[in-house]
Amino acid sequence: MTTKILFPKGAAFICILAACFALSACEKVVSIDLNQASPHLVIDGIVTDQQGPYSVKLSLSGNYFEPSLYFPPVSNALVILTDDQGQRDTLKEAESGTYLSTRLQGIAGRTYSLSVISDGKEYDGSSSMPPKVFIDSLYAIPRTGFGGESGYDIYVMFRDPPELGNYYRINARSSAPIPADSIDGRRYRLFTDKLTNGNEMAERIRAGRNVNPGDTITVELLSIDKAAYDYYSTLQDILSSDRSATSLSPANPITNLSNGPLGYFAAFTVDTKRIVLK
Amino acid sequence: MNQAFLKIIASGFLFYALLVPLIAQERFTLSGIVKNAETGEALIGANIVAKELKGVGTSSNAYGFYSITLAQGEHTLLVQFLGFRVKEDTIVLQGDRTLNFELTPEPIKLNEVVVTGERSDKNVTSTEMGSNKLEIREVQSIPVLLGERDIMKTIQLFPGVKSAGEGSTGFYARGGGIDQNLIVLDEAPVYNSSHLLGFLSVFNSDAIKDVKVMTGGIPAEYGGRLSSVLDIRTNDGNMKDFGGTGGIGLLASHLTFEGPLVKDQGSFIISARRTYADLFLILSRDTTVNRASLYFYDLNVKTNYTLGEKDRIFVSGYFGRDNFNYPNTFGFNWGNATATARWNHIFGDHLFSNTSFIFSNYEYGNTVGAGTSEFQITSGIQDLNFKTDFQYFTSSQSTVKFGINSIYHTFMPGSVTAGSTSFTNSLALERRFALENAAYVSHELEPLSGLKVNYGLRFSLFTLLGPGHTYDYDASGNALDTMSYAAGAKIQTYSNLEPRISANVILDETSSIKASYTRTAQYLHLLSNSTTTNPSDLWVPSSNNVKPQTADQYAIGFFRNFNNNEFEASLELYYKDMRNLIDYRNGADLQLNPAVESLLLYGKGWSYGAELLIRKRYGAISGWLGYTLSKTEEQFALINNGNPFPARQDRTHDISVVAIYDYSSIWTFSATWVYNTGNAVTFPSGNYLIDGRLVPYYTERNGYRMPAYHRLDVSATWTLGPRSNLSFSIYNVYDRMNPYAISFRQDPNDPNKTQAVQTTFFPFIPSVTYNFKF
Repeated sequence: MTTKILFPKGAAFICILAACFALSACEKVVSIDLNQASPHLVIDGIVTDQQGPYSVKLSLSGNYFEPSLYFPPVSNALVILTDDQGQRDTLKEAESGTYLSTRLQGIAGRTYSLSVISDGKEYDGSSSMPPKVFIDSLYAIPRTGFGGESGYDIYVMFRDPPELGNYYRINARSSAPIPADSIDGRRYRLFTDKLTNGNEMAERIRAGRNVNPGDTITVELLSIDKAAYDYYSTLQDILSSDRSATSLSPANPITNLSNGPLGYFAAFTVDTKRIVLK
Repeated sequence: MNQAFLKIIASGFLFYALLVPLIAQERFTLSGIVKNAETGEALIGANIVAKELKGVGTSSNAYGFYSITLAQGEHTLLVQFLGFRVKEDTIVLQGDRTLNFELTPEPIKLNEVVVTGERSDKNVTSTEMGSNKLEIREVQSIPVLLGERDIMKTIQLFPGVKSAGEGSTGFYARGGGIDQNLIVLDEAPVYNSSHLLGFLSVFNSDAIKDVKVMTGGIPAEYGGRLSSVLDIRTNDGNMKDFGGTGGIGLLASHLTFEGPLVKDQGSFIISARRTYADLFLILSRDTTVNRASLYFYDLNVKTNYTLGEKDRIFVSGYFGRDNFNYPNTFGFNWGNATATARWNHIFGDHLFSNTSFIFSNYEYGNTVGAGTSEFQITSGIQDLNFKTDFQYFTSSQSTVKFGINSIYHTFMPGSVTAGSTSFTNSLALERRFALENAAYVSHELEPLSGLKVNYGLRFSLFTLLGPGHTYDYDASGNALDTMSYAAGAKIQTYSNLEPRISANVILDETSSIKASYTRTAQYLHLLSNSTTTNPSDLWVPSSNNVKPQTADQYAIGFFRNFNNNEFEASLELYYKDMRNLIDYRNGADLQLNPAVESLLLYGKGWSYGAELLIRKRYGAISGWLGYTLSKTEEQFALINNGNPFPARQDRTHDISVVAIYDYSSIWTFSATWVYNTGNAVTFPSGNYLIDGRLVPYYTERNGYRMPAYHRLDVSATWTLGPRSNLSFSIYNVYDRMNPYAISFRQDPNDPNKTQAVQTTFFPFIPSVTYNFKF
């Protein structure tokens, strides 16, 4: 279990205090002048134990307040995936900036390496795909939370392997047309077996508003390596705004890629199960 | 350089400490205690001046003791202390004698010309620099958040002392970090001085007698922290009558009861305080919310007894606890407990000693979850502290202080206890043990008329002791090697010689130039992964990986009083160099981490600035104006590409104005206004898309500034009678929306856009407090 989730930091408490003292925190949108950093290469690459192809996306960073989700794709790069058993795959650019594997298959226990050559520079990284951990079962119980808000607690049951050093990420999404506020597929839960090594686990995820009886919840349990955990965890640090308010100076997530690009390369296993809410 | 310094010290002692008293043969010593005539409380820093001999005088120490050596014959002595009637006494010295003075508190006189002789010129004549004393009357009158008086917030209004955040009791002293302040309560160091996550300090202002903050020219008797000393002394208890005071506020209520154990010989004081925000939670209909708890309490107990003329003992205790609990989700509780026994002994007429035995314990606990996910985390630090200090009044122009201090620290970095049905394993991180020793000597003298010098040396010695394991790490924080140590084995030893010098050249009766040099060393470090003071912040010892922090500070100042000491002014310039500062690797997870040292980065910092203070202590209108212009930077090899960056506590401009107006015997008004440059912060300079999300791109550490902070607070105290008053205050009168934080998020109306959102916690807040005496 990661302490980052278990220890609500200052901001959360200040909110509680503020509520208790009837001091309502006041939020307002302000305009701030930000510098414009020159465009920087972003590498987003993954390999899983699922059926390929696997994608590596290359793009450039943009201006912060630019009202667009368009980031210039980086074309004509040489992208190669290899594993420690001699598999080698030169990826094909399927659409601009998106490179897909042609034959390589991800297998738990192997170490994968990514090499990207773009604009005369080479960027390398490697990731080991941990042994697969399977979800034994899911169960959901209705919950009444703070202030009477309703929802479900969904427990993900699995057994942590006996050796220390397992890192997990859980993704969950609902079939509801409006994404549930706390499992909308973009948030995820990260934890380690630091305090729970070798145990039978019941990891709780919360489904809040917009989840109703009859909805199907899809849960994915990802077994990731330490580098991927460090990346996702430092990514979460800067994405959760309630934490960034009181956290130390934010910094770019810890990448496992050489030569200073943004982004990461990760190899992980995925186990998926579904549950229908009653 | 150190050898030369030692020689100077040695020769100084030989000459002044030994020869001077021998030469002056027909001189005698008068010594005793200066007390408040109404309560018997010892008065700290009262001046005792020989009226006929210009410039000959002394002042009472932290226990009220004074000693003055004068020629045989008749002398007129003036004993003065702010807020008390001046005592004039004619004595005939035919031999050494003991004489206690009792001063009578003076009711505030309005529109009356105060006799000029009563005003102290200490601002100009003492060797103190970067030092400010807070009058308790000021603490009681200055408006504060929610009407809850707090010395930790009031001292932040002095130049050189800057608030660590709105509503916070934490402070930065001359560019130093929050953990670089030595906070001493009746000789005992306090590790976590905050309640309610830093919104209030643990010091109940009902019980406080004297507060002094020193950010430069720190005397040799203080050590262990880099940047400042906050020395707090509490009341000893009324020696004459039983009585009490109390207050009822919006946030907390407090009650103090005191009285004699044996009249004029012994007394006690008990003060207690509790918040009651949680009492409102009971009103909630939600069965979870109304079982939640949210409170803190403090209990101070102190007794003292005078055993004859030469001995006095004090036994005191502090117990405070914070509790937050939200059923089945989380609970937090933390607290300090200290027990202190002190013994004052006076050897002859010249030598005063105080010996203290101190036990202190800081403990933090956290309960998370319920049932299968329930577990408890605890961490803490425990000290056994022995300290003995001597003050030798060799003549009226010369005082020698020396002493030793030894602290045995036990660090409990964290343990986890799982609930009986929990899926969590129990775990305990290895405890760490350390012995922190120090010895010091300092000498204040006036070698020439108009020149005062205070020079001293502190030697500190820190040893990390077994049992335990140590790790060596490579540059990226990977463990290379492990060593195992037996109980009591020396794992790592550090020592530092810390010279402290300050000098005062008195130019004329109203002005002087002072200069000082201070070296300090710090062996304990606070690890915190947040900008607020968190109870879970971890104190760690210096070790094979963590080097002691050290600092050199140079300061020079011009001091001048105006209008017969009615106005005191000073302008100080300082430069401070700090080494082995600590920062963290990105994503550092400090809690329950056996390899926490692998997450640390070490660098250096420097700070320089100018501080102006104009203060008026006397008359119907009193207060001060402080202005600081400063710069603080840090440099770490692995942060910001190794380039220097502004420290979080870097504030270019910092202004505070404090005014207290005694309008009539019924009404007192006060106001404070503060302004400071916004904190240095890190904002993104671009963004990108990864994992399906928009992610900010950071290019430099602390490259941006928060908007400037400013605020006006006012308060009015309505005296209902001799025994009660009502205090009304308004925080943030003009409702300035000062940002507590600025964060960035996707625009809820247009997911393709990002917006900056400012959070303000403290708008216009009125409050009222009822205070009473019985």
